[in-house]
Amino acid sequence: MEIIIQIIVTGLTMGSMYALAAVGLSLIYGTLGMFNMAHGMFMTLGAYAVFTMSSAIGLPLILGIVVAMAAGALIGMATHLLMVRFMLNSPEFETNILVATAGLAIVLEDLVLKTYGGYPYPQPVRIEGIMRIGGVAVTYQAMVILAVAAVCICAVAWLLLRTKFGRAIRATAINRDAAQLMGVRTGTVYLQVMALAGALAGVAGLMISTLTTLSPQMGGDPLLKAFVICVVAGLGNVWGAGVCAFGLALLESAIGFYFGVRFGFPVMLMLVIIVLIWRPLGLFGREKVVRL
Amino acid sequence: MSMPNLAAGPVQRHLLVGVAVIAAFALLPLVLTERYMLGEVIVFFIWAMVAMNWNVLMGHAGVFSLAQMLFVACGAYGMAMGVMFLGLNVWAAIPIAAVASALLALVIGMACLRLTGAYVALLTYAIAEMIHVLIITDTVCFTMVANNCQQLFGGSTGFSRFDDFGFRQLLRGNWVLGNYYTVLAAFAVTVLACVIIIHGRLGLAFRAIRDNPGYAASRGIDRKKYQIIAFAVTAFLTGLAGAVYAAHYRFAGPSLFDFSTLMFVLSMVIVGGLGSTWGPLIGTGLMMVVVEFAKGMGDARNLILGLALVVFVIVLPKGLAHFGTVLAQRLRGGNRPGT
Repeated sequence: MEIIIQIIVTGLTMGSMYALAAVGLSLIYGTLGMFNMAHGMFMTLGAYAVFTMSSAIGLPLILGIVVAMAAGALIGMATHLLMVRFMLNSPEFETNILVATAGLAIVLEDLVLKTYGGYPYPQPVRIEGIMRIGGVAVTYQAMVILAVAAVCICAVAWLLLRTKFGRAIRATAINRDAAQLMGVRTGTVYLQVMALAGALAGVAGLMISTLTTLSPQMGGDPLLKAFVICVVAGLGNVWGAGVCAFGLALLESAIGFYFGVRFGFPVMLMLVIIVLIWRPLGLFGREKVVRL
Repeated sequence: MSMPNLAAGPVQRHLLVGVAVIAAFALLPLVLTERYMLGEVIVFFIWAMVAMNWNVLMGHAGVFSLAQMLFVACGAYGMAMGVMFLGLNVWAAIPIAAVASALLALVIGMACLRLTGAYVALLTYAIAEMIHVLIITDTVCFTMVANNCQQLFGGSTGFSRFDDFGFRQLLRGNWVLGNYYTVLAAFAVTVLACVIIIHGRLGLAFRAIRDNPGYAASRGIDRKKYQIIAFAVTAFLTGLAGAVYAAHYRFAGPSLFDFSTLMFVLSMVIVGGLGSTWGPLIGTGLMMVVVEFAKGMGDARNLILGLALVVFVIVLPKGLAHFGTVLAQRLRGGNRPGT
């Protein structure tokens, strides 16, 4: 019983962080049709922004979250304004943008490495202490991560489903030209989506850095998991990404517990490939009719 | 019928260019005698092989694979493990390693190539990264080498100090020339194979699929079958590059999986020209020179790699090869419309 609670707690904590990353990634793909290889660096920059502010003036947790969101949103908007904007109409957008964001990722990683060095700093903004649930020690930090992820994901759901802003995003995602003809400023929508996804990535980065340490490569592993989650959910499917994040994280923590941590991800990937052979467009993906 | 002439022209022309390039490199040691420079040219051969194959796969067959360094590593590790564990001769281990690479590609291709576009890129990247992590986290000793633990796949340090081509005993002071001509032979095989693939029937099928998969399918060209062929053939040649890399450096390790190495080779393909024939050769040479200068400017390698990728994709998405062709047409003047 205790083992099962332990697995569930670990799975939910990891799932929260994967969900924050994967929902943003999926939102960008769904709206812009762009796969963001630099998403991991958005997370890293969010975490480092909090670290910098906190070492300078000392931040409470709530302000830390705000700083992480602001940093992520800024870098997301800068990426759109300085790079993506010029490529939206290029003929091989899907391939080109993957290459360009991968290039951006390596530039940002190098800049972080040159500014802060490779030393694994601990994240100063975090909460110490543990509580016991059914004989299992659960850190307050894990509870905070769960709560923050729940609030963020509910907020995104509310934004997308209940506001005019969300309706514009969904309309653009379904059909860009039709949305434009109906008076939606698609350029602004793209900018907003990049800001929103960046903010989610920033928070994810802060949360990840409270569990491990800060390093220029810290975004790489969660990004890889977020990739796999998005692919298995069906690229661009925001809801599927959220659900799959928790499902796969629980699975990973169970496998990690019974077979050793290093097999958690490989087994997860094998299952994903099997799922894709059965449903090539992902669990929640719908067949698109393509005119030739 | 004029069709056979039209189809035969470009192959022969590009094969001639290829033979000329190989011949020029074969004569190069007559002028270039410095061992360091010859070593740099050997590195150029190896990266050019990887880049040319990636270009065939991504630019012509339309498979956006991010697992190319996995195939290099498979060739290098296969060669190292064949020599160290099975006691194979180096010359026997090289083709075996290349075949192992092709088989690995066949398995990955059958799993991934049901999908298209970004899905393929993400899955191939995830598989390569998974194998990377499995290798570096392996701590179980397979054998003991000089009282040091040697893992089955080399662990986090990899394999080193195994047999090389054997020219050190044979040619003594001139051993680097032996390595040079051996790697040049592998390079020559790759160049000629790439030209034949790109401008032959296989290349036509690849481009038909890339340009319009639906129409190609309706004319009996099976996308999955041809893309798996492209995946396996280019993985064989990429594995060959990895095997000669391992034999030249007497090293095969997890640094081959580094993201920055992957980006280095990708920048060669993109800067040179995705979908061209000779672009990757230009790109490889240029990026190697640029990175050499960047090392002098306080280790700006990754910064320059990333910027080159971003700038080229935005400004010159078809790379220098296409730019050169357009420039040449402009210079020739517009008095011959339609050519």
